[in-house]
Amino acid sequence: MFLNIDLHKSDAIALVDDSGLSITFNELITKSNEFYKLIDKRTLIFILADNSIESFIAFYSCIQNKVVPLLLSSNTNEELLNNLYEKYVPEFIYKIPSNNWRPKNENIVATYLKENGFELIQTNNINPILFDELSFLLPTSGSTGSPKLVRHSYTNLDSSAKNVSELFKIDNTHTAIAFLPMYYTMGLSVIMSHLNSGAKVVLTNYSLTDRLFWNLMKEQKVTTFTGVPYSFELLDKLRFFRMPLPDLKIITQGGGKLKEDLFIKFAQYATDKLIQFIPTYGQTEGTARMAFLEPSMTQLKVGSIGKAIPNGYLGVINNSGEEILITEAEGEMIYKGKNVTLGYAECKEDLTKGDDNKDVLITGDIVKRDADGFYFIIGRKKRFLKIYGYRISLDEVEMLIKNQFHIECICSGNDEQLIIKIEDLSLANQVQAYISDKTNLFHQCISVQQLENLARNEVGKVILTN
Amino acid sequence: MNNLEKFNSIFAETFNVDSSQLNENFGIDTVANWDSVTQLSLVTAIEDEFNIMLDTDDILDFKTYSIAKEILKKYQIEL
Repeated sequence: MFLNIDLHKSDAIALVDDSGLSITFNELITKSNEFYKLIDKRTLIFILADNSIESFIAFYSCIQNKVVPLLLSSNTNEELLNNLYEKYVPEFIYKIPSNNWRPKNENIVATYLKENGFELIQTNNINPILFDELSFLLPTSGSTGSPKLVRHSYTNLDSSAKNVSELFKIDNTHTAIAFLPMYYTMGLSVIMSHLNSGAKVVLTNYSLTDRLFWNLMKEQKVTTFTGVPYSFELLDKLRFFRMPLPDLKIITQGGGKLKEDLFIKFAQYATDKLIQFIPTYGQTEGTARMAFLEPSMTQLKVGSIGKAIPNGYLGVINNSGEEILITEAEGEMIYKGKNVTLGYAECKEDLTKGDDNKDVLITGDIVKRDADGFYFIIGRKKRFLKIYGYRISLDEVEMLIKNQFHIECICSGNDEQLIIKIEDLSLANQVQAYISDKTNLFHQCISVQQLENLARNEVGKVILTN
Repeated sequence: MNNLEKFNSIFAETFNVDSSQLNENFGIDTVANWDSVTQLSLVTAIEDEFNIMLDTDDILDFKTYSIAKEILKKYQIEL
């Protein structure tokens, strides 16, 4: 059974959420069966999820019963939903009451009202052809509105849950807090890896700046906290190091590179408190985690992403794509393992595709491997930024601006700021507001600057020099 | 700039609004882009400007314009 749910103590609590609900492992099985009865076949479903028990039951039921979900944020805007709906034509939509989007009336065959106002909508769309091994889909970017999805296999989910559970040595005495959203690869990894080991997961939609979040941490005696770099900046600001949290045993980090001073602070804190701080590395394309740093090494290898996760392999390739076998090396990092996803999808026809990657992922990250075999991320080949844990594709931002304003622009930046260069700065405020709206990026993270000396060739086409 | 002007301009810049929009109703429930990101940025800017360090509880409570004013009083900042 998916995540070994039937092998855990059946009356132990599996999930708790903000609404005060909790369910046991046994109830998860029962509710999952009930959910599947309404669908009753292998087909495509969109799940507009939040971090609630209702949302997770739907996801679990789909995987267990071979229904293929696309997990989406419950806050996904109407424009993107329409776009995704037209591109992938799902037969079912499961959504939370706060999102008002619905398929066109003439498409709706039936609507089932579930607990807490959740709705399951059945449409008259034709059941699409799905590759046998396809388990579920996640967007590549939660924010820029791209309909490009990552295709996961059943093996991806099983091996990711098992490997991550092994690397954190999770057991049934642990309680994880899952505040990273489940439609984000690492949020889902937290939930799956813990349930796989019979541990309890506290699902929450509260943010770290919410008092209720900290009440939950204490009341639920949370042992394991997983955050992205931005979460750690908030923790630092919230004077986390002075908070009494006697139950906390493991702090794990992923979702991008933590600033070095914060890395050192958390490594020191963990050493002082005799708990574990475990930095990790991952991507959606690798079903979340691919590398981790042993907690005992965090003071010695500051800023490192460590080595491959259990049952995974990391390597470095040169510009010709050949693997560099000398230990000390620089180049693009590759990963091999059963958690490497099948590939991408851009339309429903792609859902019939097989395994494009064959367990090998060229990560796009430029790394340095030191003499002891530890990996450090030093750059990125692909044109995207990771701001507040969100992946922002520079190509997509440029496309958005070009389509909206019909002007040339060049985007660059780092993981703190997106820089947009345009020729006519009188449009700066409009461009900033538009991109902030489209990507949900904080406007102060978007800097619009003067584009100088734009080189054009004889037909007036822009030549990109940087 | 006096303290109140400094205080207002930080709010205005953080939430991308005009200072005239700041009033008792300005807070997490009425301002669309008030989230953990803007709150962190707001608190950091206030701390830097007035050279203070807020306690955890005060940061968690920093959720409306009026409450923020009250909190600053505790740190002997006259607005």
